[in-house]
Amino acid sequence: MLWRVSRRHLARHPWQIGLSVLGVALGVAVALSIDLANGSARRAFALATEAVTGRTTHQIVGGPIGLDETLYRTLRVALGVRDAAPVVAADVAAPAFPGRTFHLFGIDPLVEPAFRPHLTAASAGGGIRSGRDRFALLVELLTRPGTAVISARTARELGLAPGDPLEIRAGGARRRLRLVALVTPDDELSARALASLLVTDVATAQEVLGVPGRLTRIDLIVPEGERGRALLARVAGALPPGAEVVPAAARAEATVRMTRAFSLNLAALSLLALVVGTFLIYNTMTFSVVQRRTLIGTLRALGVTRGEIFTLIATEALAIGVVGTAAGALLGLGLARGLLALVTRTINDLFFVVSVSEVSVTPAAIAKAVALGIGATLIAAVAPALEATGAAPRAVLSRGTLEARARWAAPRLAWIGVAAALAGSLLLLAGGGVGVGFVGLFVLILACALVTPLAVLGLSRLAAPPAGWMFGAVGRMAARGISGALSRTAVAVTALMVAVSATIGVGLMITSFRGAVVRWLEGTLRSDVYVSPPSLIGSRSEAPLDPTLVDRLTRTPGVAGASTSRVSVVPGPQGPVSVVALGLGRGRRPGFPLRGGDPGTVWGAFDRGAVLVSEPFASRHRTRPGDTVRLRTDRGEREFPVAGVFYDYGSSAGVVLMRRETYDRHWDDRAVSGLGLEAGPGVDVGRLVDALRARVGLGHEVVIRSNRALREASLEIFDRTFAITTVLRLLTVVVAFIGVLSALLAQQLERVREIGVLRALGLTPRQVWSMVTMQTGLVGLIAGLLALPVGVLLAFVLIFVINQRSFGWTMPLEVRADVLLQGLLLAVAAGLLAGLYPARRMARASPSEALRDE
Amino acid sequence: MPAPAIELRRLTKIYREGQNERVVFREVDVTIAPGAIVVLLGRSGSGKSTFLNMLAGIDLPTAGAVIVGGTDLARIDEQARTLFRRRHVGFVFQFFNLIPLLTVEENLRLPLELTGQDDHAGRARARRLLERVGLADRQASYPEQLSGGEQQRLAVARALVHEPTLILADEPTGNLDADTAAEVVDLLEGLAREGRKTLVMVTHSREVVGVADRVLTVQHGRLVEG
Repeated sequence: MLWRVSRRHLARHPWQIGLSVLGVALGVAVALSIDLANGSARRAFALATEAVTGRTTHQIVGGPIGLDETLYRTLRVALGVRDAAPVVAADVAAPAFPGRTFHLFGIDPLVEPAFRPHLTAASAGGGIRSGRDRFALLVELLTRPGTAVISARTARELGLAPGDPLEIRAGGARRRLRLVALVTPDDELSARALASLLVTDVATAQEVLGVPGRLTRIDLIVPEGERGRALLARVAGALPPGAEVVPAAARAEATVRMTRAFSLNLAALSLLALVVGTFLIYNTMTFSVVQRRTLIGTLRALGVTRGEIFTLIATEALAIGVVGTAAGALLGLGLARGLLALVTRTINDLFFVVSVSEVSVTPAAIAKAVALGIGATLIAAVAPALEATGAAPRAVLSRGTLEARARWAAPRLAWIGVAAALAGSLLLLAGGGVGVGFVGLFVLILACALVTPLAVLGLSRLAAPPAGWMFGAVGRMAARGISGALSRTAVAVTALMVAVSATIGVGLMITSFRGAVVRWLEGTLRSDVYVSPPSLIGSRSEAPLDPTLVDRLTRTPGVAGASTSRVSVVPGPQGPVSVVALGLGRGRRPGFPLRGGDPGTVWGAFDRGAVLVSEPFASRHRTRPGDTVRLRTDRGEREFPVAGVFYDYGSSAGVVLMRRETYDRHWDDRAVSGLGLEAGPGVDVGRLVDALRARVGLGHEVVIRSNRALREASLEIFDRTFAITTVLRLLTVVVAFIGVLSALLAQQLERVREIGVLRALGLTPRQVWSMVTMQTGLVGLIAGLLALPVGVLLAFVLIFVINQRSFGWTMPLEVRADVLLQGLLLAVAAGLLAGLYPARRMARASPSEALRDE
Repeated sequence: MPAPAIELRRLTKIYREGQNERVVFREVDVTIAPGAIVVLLGRSGSGKSTFLNMLAGIDLPTAGAVIVGGTDLARIDEQARTLFRRRHVGFVFQFFNLIPLLTVEENLRLPLELTGQDDHAGRARARRLLERVGLADRQASYPEQLSGGEQQRLAVARALVHEPTLILADEPTGNLDADTAAEVVDLLEGLAREGRKTLVMVTHSREVVGVADRVLTVQHGRLVEG
């Protein structure tokens, strides 16, 4: 019977339950979709790594120009290492299929089966059945120059068949390969792993990438135990100074580690939507208890126990949670597809090339979402369920009791809030990782939420006299309605305040960051024209420019000076390190703004062979001026003194900056990755760019951009990086909006009788409408006003704790009026918009219906 | 002979409940003189409150005319009915129905503000009324801080403060003890007679009948004298 009562109650309030379900669904959908998108990108990377790692246990890697291929011969012939496989690999683009990248993977087909058997499961288009025949065919086909193999599924997607040409772009050069066979993977997993692989013979890869005689690495299968250790020692003894043996998993792990902070940031932001959704459920459950106060009181008088009432309310919440979570899971799967593109683009812009075509749904991700959704619902329902059971029969939560309690609780909650703020601040000051930072941040948000009811009480009381002065009794009632129904309005204001302050906080963080990047670009980009190979990722490109082209461009009439940069990755004791070598010409200094080090001595030391490290590098490796950086050079491992730390927003992994002369002394790599050219006096930069483009010639593809164009392109990448953040902010505001709508609807519906009286006294529908709208607008305004300081606080924590710990970047906080104003307007608009429907309903309500109880 | 304060002509009110029709009034004709105190009796659910609501223009008849002070409320639109009610009608309810968000003084001034009378004279009138109903020292209190009798006295004052011509009271003593009820009825009668207001009062209480100039009873959709 009890359940029938409950079911009928829920059925009679579809809007209330519907909004609640929607709130949970959106919260769960946002959290799940981000989790899936992050997971899919990580999984795609892991699969791609697995596809090229196979059974490899160790890898011999070299410096910027890789290894000499004679080393491979030495290993196999002189040392008798049979389980060794040469690899020449790089990411390349396929111009005919914009946005599509391939991992060019040059192998020796004869030794491959032991390492990556899945790569040799190829077919030339049917007819050949046995594995041995297929392998023989593959060897024959691949050893022909200029031939390649891709997976059958990718070929189908791109409309390619064996025999078709495939044009690829490696660095600045275009090459044409011919597809000779298709790899037919045995299972779905291999199919996904092979999706972006372009397999060639070692010689073809060397020719395509312009690295004759060089290998990217040599893969090894080393047995475990004593035999393996002996083998490794033997190999190490034969290595040239620039090379080293590393475990195969280590490199991939280091790469994935870079994205961990990025994933965590997105996950935290996505959880915020669920937190806001929790307020919504709390509000609905409280309202449903208040609505049924007589019913619950009567049930208690009839002998229903407290436990049974609690179970009743908790089960209702659970039902909402289950339906909302199920809907959210479905919605999340759809949303993940959209967000995956944004996440992948950001990873490509900031970290590494990864091509993700589909969302991989794991049971763990779904389980996490279900736990989050139902958990949040139950947490939100505990307080109202306890309230329903706590009071004596017949006295369950009259409106007046509830409001009196809310007013009593407000200052006490504020004190708890102050204590929570102190705890949050201590947590943030105590140091620790990004995770601890986020916990501190959430505690601070909670603290602000706890202070909100008292602030609402104060602000609405302050607003009453001016509202009364401006709009008479209607204005006064609008303002008083907020403090009068504090139990309801405080929840609405808090939900909206949290969402809007997050928007302001993230907005201020992004504008401060953007401001810092603009100033950094102005400081560092000093040449008039920049030349670089087309890049697959947004950050610095490692691909080299053709030396003859560099020479030709430098000699273009109108060019007064040139500087070069070389970006390469070299091994260090804690994994690969990105090194930037600057060829600046005598007496010239780079324009990087310094974060640490003595400006008077830094550049002298730099000229003498010291290095500078970027801020993220310094924070990641705890490096300070005066310390040293160990790098494996072509002359063996060397220590470089660190002269200073410079601001750099180009890479979150961090870079080591040195003069080209220093670089050349330690490495044999003579390639150039970028060229900066200065226009002579009176030379028009636009014309110079045209002249340079005309001199590039066929067969080369380079990007030539003016200083301004490069700056704009850099900022475009910056803005793109934060696109996903903007989407998440918007989604959080949508959840908050539903929360406000639900709270206001509940509040206004409770006032049906009061509105009926007002209508009987002669208030016109229009005046009722104005009063309700004024009140909801005021709810928005109060939420907006409270969100301003909280937003600035969040921005402060995001910049000085979260960003610093995640990426190692610091920047000054710029509190911009336009961002604050936007937040305020957003809150007021949300309040007004959420008030439209209740206002309309109230204005249209028939006073005789409202007074019918008489 | 002065024009009647209220005139109902062939007034019919039917509620439709799904397929069924419930006839509350059938072709009722009644005339009430200005300044009269009329008590309306009837069983629960007989349509007494509906009758008051139609006099106030809150509810509309299904057919016929409701002419109050010369205006046929059935022929004017919702906005005009609201403005008419605001100016010419004062309401007293069984459950007081004061605005919980406004103080005693503000509750009293609400009708003045709505009718544009919240000036010096209007406020002076409000003060006099507050003294008359014995709440002069409770101006700053909120309704929830008043007793039932005090709340209803304030509701009476609110119904009269803007000097309406018609006062409608829907079981004004229904929620009060006998002594307080008598006090409120005396107050209502006194103020209505002093101001020569027409007062229509719905009640179940036989004691209230004593103050009436005229008693009407709702019976089977008709109004019967006595």
